[in-house]
Amino acid sequence: MTLGVRGLVRALAVVGALPLLLAGCLAPLPQPLVGLNQRLEAAGPARAPSLSGDWLALIVSRDGRDRVQLVDLQRQQPVPLPGLERPDAQPLSVAVDGRGERLALVRQLEGRTELVLYRRNLMALQPVPLQPPGVPRRVSLRADGRELAVEVSRQGQWQVDLIAVP
Amino acid sequence: MLGLVALLLSGCGSWSWGRRSAGPVGWGGADRQDPALSGNGRVLASVVRRDGRDTVLLQEQPSGTVLPLRHLQRLEPHRSPSLSWNGRYLALLVQQGPERRVLIEDRVTGRLHRLPLPGGLVPESLSLAADGRRIAIATEGDGRSRVQLYDLTSLLEPDLPAGLPVRGAPAASP
Repeated sequence: MTLGVRGLVRALAVVGALPLLLAGCLAPLPQPLVGLNQRLEAAGPARAPSLSGDWLALIVSRDGRDRVQLVDLQRQQPVPLPGLERPDAQPLSVAVDGRGERLALVRQLEGRTELVLYRRNLMALQPVPLQPPGVPRRVSLRADGRELAVEVSRQGQWQVDLIAVP
Repeated sequence: MLGLVALLLSGCGSWSWGRRSAGPVGWGGADRQDPALSGNGRVLASVVRRDGRDTVLLQEQPSGTVLPLRHLQRLEPHRSPSLSWNGRYLALLVQQGPERRVLIEDRVTGRLHRLPLPGGLVPESLSLAADGRRIAIATEGDGRSRVQLYDLTSLLEPDLPAGLPVRGAPAASP
């Protein structure tokens, strides 16, 4: 009788655990955005993504050169960035705000590494001075574009600066 | 034209750029790398090297108060943190044995989401959209680097600015 009760308890425990086990097996998985991914794949090797709102900024290698690309995810098309690119510049890190309006960029140019801010509506690039001076590497931009965080090397140590964007 | 003039003027000196240090990490002169701000700027994630291990540090801004994380110890080194609008979700890369994995910690529910990637692809960096609806993952594999996007709407509730209606939610009755 005791064994029968134990068996019943075990059976109930297994039945009770089934939904949990099934939920684990059937947990929702992130879905690849197939169409967009195919377009990105076709654009060439890519790295350093920054995603914000309906905008994706990334660095794409094409014809032996690395370039910054900004993709409008709603239209599934890259948008032009006049005044941003220079053939002799090597982009290292890029970040975009949620409106696709401001891009923060770390790039190597003429032997130095610099942090710049690009405003799409003005098609203009503005250097962001580092105080005290240092060598920037990775940059991140707040979704509202009002502040950036940048990794800076100073005297052999990596630090993070927060810079309000005027 | 006026906008361009304002831009030129603002670029004339460093006075117009308000700047501050991200604050002490509490571990002496530790290296701090890989910064990521939440969409509203109130949380900063960065990777701090402590005892030779890269560990993600989450801090309120501007106070610098350290925020707790539930699941990420023993999964170091951490890299490439990324935050949603209010900092509810922290996405990052962790090392789990020989594998580098993509994880998202939900700081509200305490849940940890693992994002499986197709075999042979090694994640290098990631970026979580501020609303938590999508993630971009840079990978290496098959001899090339690529960036792929994933839809997270079946996995995560949106993390939106206060007062913004959730897309697809029923309209309020008059």
